[in-house]
Amino acid sequence: MHNTVKRAFLLLFVVGIFVVGTVILGFSFFRNSEEWATHRANAHIYSGGQISAAGTIYDSEGEILAQTKDSKRTYNPDSAVRKATLHAVGDTEGFMSTGVHALFESELTGYNIVSGTYYLEKYGIGNDINLTLDSKVCKTAYNALNGRKGTVGVYNYKTGEIVCMVSCPTYDPENKPDNDTMNSDAYKAAYINKFLSSSFTPGSTFKIVTSACAIENIPDIYERTFDCDGEYEVGETAVICNGKHGKQSFEKALNNSCNSAFAEISIELGKTKLQKTAEKMGLTSSFEVDRVPLSRGTADLSKAVDIDTGWAGIGQYTITANPCMMMTLMGAIANGGTAVEPYYVGSITTPKGFSVYKAKTEYANEISLNADTAEKLTDLLRSNVTDYYGDSSFPDLEMCGKTGTAEVGDDKTGDNAWFAGFSQRVDFPYAIVVLIEDSSSNARQAAIPVANKVLQSIGG
Amino acid sequence: MKKLKSFRYAYYLILVTVFQILSFIQVLSKCEEDKAQLSVILLSFLLVEWFYVVAMRVTIRQKSFELELIAFFLSSVGLSLIATVSVDFAMKQVIYILAGVLIFIVMRWLIANADRVSLLRMPAAVFAAAVLALNLLLAQDYNGAKNWVQIGSFSFQPSEFVKIAFIFVGAATLDKLQTTKSVFKYLIFAAGCVGALFLMRDFGTALIFFATFLIIAYMRSGDWKTIAVICVAAVLGAVLIISFKSTVAARFATYRHIWETPYDEGMQQTRMLIYSASGGLFGVGLGNGKLRDIYASTTDLIFGMVCEEYGLILGFVILLTFAAILVYTVASAKSARTSFYVIAACSAAGLLLVQTSLNVFGVTDLLPWTGVTLPFVSRGGSSMMSCWALLAFIKSVDPRAYPKTFKETQLAG
Repeated sequence: MHNTVKRAFLLLFVVGIFVVGTVILGFSFFRNSEEWATHRANAHIYSGGQISAAGTIYDSEGEILAQTKDSKRTYNPDSAVRKATLHAVGDTEGFMSTGVHALFESELTGYNIVSGTYYLEKYGIGNDINLTLDSKVCKTAYNALNGRKGTVGVYNYKTGEIVCMVSCPTYDPENKPDNDTMNSDAYKAAYINKFLSSSFTPGSTFKIVTSACAIENIPDIYERTFDCDGEYEVGETAVICNGKHGKQSFEKALNNSCNSAFAEISIELGKTKLQKTAEKMGLTSSFEVDRVPLSRGTADLSKAVDIDTGWAGIGQYTITANPCMMMTLMGAIANGGTAVEPYYVGSITTPKGFSVYKAKTEYANEISLNADTAEKLTDLLRSNVTDYYGDSSFPDLEMCGKTGTAEVGDDKTGDNAWFAGFSQRVDFPYAIVVLIEDSSSNARQAAIPVANKVLQSIGG
Repeated sequence: MKKLKSFRYAYYLILVTVFQILSFIQVLSKCEEDKAQLSVILLSFLLVEWFYVVAMRVTIRQKSFELELIAFFLSSVGLSLIATVSVDFAMKQVIYILAGVLIFIVMRWLIANADRVSLLRMPAAVFAAAVLALNLLLAQDYNGAKNWVQIGSFSFQPSEFVKIAFIFVGAATLDKLQTTKSVFKYLIFAAGCVGALFLMRDFGTALIFFATFLIIAYMRSGDWKTIAVICVAAVLGAVLIISFKSTVAARFATYRHIWETPYDEGMQQTRMLIYSASGGLFGVGLGNGKLRDIYASTTDLIFGMVCEEYGLILGFVILLTFAAILVYTVASAKSARTSFYVIAACSAAGLLLVQTSLNVFGVTDLLPWTGVTLPFVSRGGSSMMSCWALLAFIKSVDPRAYPKTFKETQLAG
């Protein structure tokens, strides 16, 4: 009897194992419940594979971008707004992994492990999400792209609020083209938000990086003159220029976007320094914009020979850059070296109006730029507008910026037309990036008018 | 102070009743037709519970009701969920609970007397062997296992009743010397039972029996080494069977892969997790769940319904309840009258805990899913009755619970 009782105590070991199992189960609920509850098979949230119950998505002006009405998800009444904001809002079928619908699913459905889907059941709706995007500006950008592929992004470089984020090709979520059409060339990469998730050859916009590198590494760069006869020869080969610019200063060479001068500067700087500057300025880095990790650009010059370094310095060779990172870099230059991280989800509020999330201004440590270089770059980029593109291209905006016409693919495809810049006006702290793919005209003709139209539509 | 203590059972009874009444009110508010019938069903449950407590208090002056109240609490959680699914199911379930309580009372009387226990040992063993043999002969294939017997419109799971005999036979030993040798005969009996269950492909129950056997064998012999050898042999045997019998392996193919086939093989388990998570800590409310529409929701998956409709907190409280029963049993062991009660109580409490683990950790994919019920909560008659019978073994460890008359017969015998 005594022995048996003693042995009984060993059964506490069995209890111990059971308790460990219970703790593991509890932990696995704690860790995975959000993922489990937002699974498409959850009939509390989905019907017929679509989100049936979720909160409303608003733009910065309170315009409804998506909402649930009678268990059906509906979008903005304006088809152009629907297309312009598609990549930010996302679809409800799960094709767009970077839209708010997918990324903020549990917030939209109001799911959390404490109340489960109870409030969804009770009020029939989840939390509301307020975007910082201005649908009117997005629509202007969408119309300005006018069917061309590409992307436009604008953000407030003081606060980080993205006011415009458009990616084309896009489609109307309420009249989605059939599968064959979606698979055709016209809709290639339509599900991808190019602004956040793609990288492109930057062309001459990369001369901003090369300039920064020169400012920091060539002490007499402003006293130097560069002679351009239409190309810059490196041994047997040459970097071809877009014109014959003759003798010019560093500043003039940037205004002219002179390939010869910048190839010369790049080779003088050397590939190591150039690559390092590109990395320091964040082009090869990534941070998350509302849970979407930015596509990393590339600046790997480890195998480059001199001629390659020459091409790299004008944004060709194997250099790529992400449009959002480029915009953030513009913001950093405008801010005297301080890079503010962009975001487009401003706040999330419960059905009762309590705020569950509020975005705050954060700094992007991925971009390191000293104040002196930022100031000099600002002057250079300002002179591009005043002395070359003309302030008339950007009335009243005190714009700074740089265009880029990047050669991609073969001769049959057009170039990538870029514009990256920012306004210096204290009351208008916006940085912008415009990228038009497969453009038949150069960046100055293609991208600048788009940038101007979009910026002029802000706050108006 | 002493007086207060003796009224503690009333306090527990009232707490449990308040919980039950709140549950039942919600169940009734969700019921659209047959409201009157459902009210009668739920009311009769409360009557059974109160009548049991009052009757035991008055007739045998029983003072501790913790175990019974836990069982009534668990039964009412199951009953509430089942009642929101179907009034017909609820009707049957309440009858099973009543039958379970009656069996519990009879079992308590039966095992109170040592002579009766030793007299019944052999018949119990024969009964168990016969029932399992009959089961093997008669059973139809049901979800890949042959553990159901149907007679007319009445179907039951014989292995549930064999559980009782299994513990009874194992614990009731008159050997003074508790050695490995004295366990040997029991070993053969146990191997027969586990083997028969294996042939029925009821792997879950086979595992429960095996675990129970280990507890009993250890409690009787204290022989670590032999038990370790048996364990290793069993694990090797299981591995061999699984690797050579592809049909057996196929039953566990989805283990740890349920999210790969959420619309096929992984359907039930993924829904169980999805909807448990949907419940949150406090649940979406009785009758508001979605897991109810999934096959086996009120039987194998009932833990998911508890989590979804009552909330994760109650789900985990139920888990800890089964652990508490075993802790209670171990803690009470020293006051038990003979080692028969210690072994019977510990193995019964251990069995319930193992079965709970296999059910809950199985449906949540932490362990392979073997399809056993959640004691007291799952819908089903065989399971409910056997759980109450096992509870009688656990109750026997506590001498306070014994009626005076029982004690007298025991002394006389």
